[in-house]
Amino acid sequence: MATLNINGTTHQVDAPDDMPLLWVIRDIIGLTGTKFGCGIAQCGACTVHIDGQAARSCVLPISAIGDKKITTIEAVGETSAGKSIQKAWLDLEVMQCGYCQSGQIMSACSLLGQHPHPNDEQIDTAMAGNICRCGTYPRIRAAIKVAAKEGA
Amino acid sequence: MKITSGLMNICATIIAFSFSLNVFAISPADIKKGEYLARVGDCVSCHTAPHGKDFAGGLPMLTPVGAIYTTNITPDPETGIGKYTESDFAKALRRGVAKDGHHLYPAMPYPSYAKVSDTDIHYLYLYFKHGVKPVRQANKASEIPWPLNYRFPLAIWNAFFLDKETYKPDPDKDANWNRGAYLVQGLGHCGACHTPRGLAFQEKGLTHESGKFLSGETLEGWSATNLRDDHNTGLGRWSESDIVVYLKSGANQHSSAFGTMTPVINNSTEGMTLEDLTGMSSYLKTIKGSDDKGQKPYKYDPSATLAQFKEPAKHPGAKLYQQYCAACHSQNGQGVAPYLSPLAGNPAVMDPDPSSLINVILNGSPQLKPQGVAAPYNMPKFRHILNDTEVAQLVTFMQKGWNHNLDATDAKQVAKIRKMPPSAH
Repeated sequence: MATLNINGTTHQVDAPDDMPLLWVIRDIIGLTGTKFGCGIAQCGACTVHIDGQAARSCVLPISAIGDKKITTIEAVGETSAGKSIQKAWLDLEVMQCGYCQSGQIMSACSLLGQHPHPNDEQIDTAMAGNICRCGTYPRIRAAIKVAAKEGA
Repeated sequence: MKITSGLMNICATIIAFSFSLNVFAISPADIKKGEYLARVGDCVSCHTAPHGKDFAGGLPMLTPVGAIYTTNITPDPETGIGKYTESDFAKALRRGVAKDGHHLYPAMPYPSYAKVSDTDIHYLYLYFKHGVKPVRQANKASEIPWPLNYRFPLAIWNAFFLDKETYKPDPDKDANWNRGAYLVQGLGHCGACHTPRGLAFQEKGLTHESGKFLSGETLEGWSATNLRDDHNTGLGRWSESDIVVYLKSGANQHSSAFGTMTPVINNSTEGMTLEDLTGMSSYLKTIKGSDDKGQKPYKYDPSATLAQFKEPAKHPGAKLYQQYCAACHSQNGQGVAPYLSPLAGNPAVMDPDPSSLINVILNGSPQLKPQGVAAPYNMPKFRHILNDTEVAQLVTFMQKGWNHNLDATDAKQVAKIRKMPPSAH
């Protein structure tokens, strides 16, 4: 039995130690905003925050989390970075098909947490692990810059 | 007529009697013992082609002089070893000589199997004769070119390098240690990969009495790590139970199995008894190292490495690591043991030969399947994503990182391993 703090709520989860967090979030807790993409940390669709840092939940065994705080796309709008990122995303109409976008937003929020005014290099490094099949990268970059400006 | 038929009756009775005796002699329990020993010897890993039938042979083994193919060891009388008597079988296993008299190449670890006891040979024979399903599959000729393909010089080779003694227990050590030594040196044939080979392809030591025994070797593009007591590159920091956990499950707090060790775990050590694994680890821990050839004992310190992630433009290796590796192995290099291998302090990363590190990045790792259950987190391959320079930058980042301070790797070393076929195992 593992105890996990997800979006401010404590959950008792009956799952084996090596189960990836993504399975717990989607199948046991029922928060399906976080998506399964590749399952091997190569696409970024499953990105969540662990203590504010972006992490790929598909390769994160729950035994590694301990009492750290997990935030998913459902609750990231309650943080200031999350609020400004989500607004910029809507204002610039970043999304196309949308499948990767919860992961994109989680990575972008984590980036603003570390670098409130990121330069292109920092954006590239933080966002390189999030793949978008529709090619929305130019709008993602622009939206991050807008969010950084408006959040300031 | 009467006399003849009477004789015939007697003959028939004798034949029936000896047949039933024969059946009595072969108990399923004995065949099971042989099956276990075949597992310890990991016969199946080499004597089975990819997607082929068990023990029917056909796996290519790359030697410096050309590929050779493993042979059919099922009891098929025409293409396998169905016509072998127990003494033929013993001669092949311990002397490297087939029933027809030809010499086997020492890719077959008969110099190790020479240590195997008569009793164990007997059980193994029963298993291969009665427990394995016969498969009709002809053996493939080797690709070793003329004149190197003449096998008679192997008799001379054997005169130099084959010790014909079976294992002699050391009376100063306990039964657990002796059992371990017997398995490591003998059926386990750990040295076939982990002991350096000389110019004649001979292992430079078949017991712990040699300083070279199990000190690490590179075969088929994989570096089989040092299993001696060296602090950095060997098993110096592993406890006996760390070794047991690794052999049973394929991973522990220090490292995970990869490359050609994966089938060894899947087909052999995961099914061994705890008693045998405890013996092996007890024996391995007594083999003294060579103090990492003068390297300072490793101490974990991630500070300089973590600082590199803050300036990715200046540190291409750190940038690549962040993008492709950090999600599983963490910026601090500690991964999530035992599921996602730690890299910091991992003897396979601290290996002076980066072959395995390069190979595992290019080709990923086969699926670990201890106790028949697939391990949840498998290393993916990056050969189509990263070019030689990028792989070299990544490997160098790990060789320098977390206070490893090892020599760098260049793109040429990566190119060499990229050209080699990913292991057929």
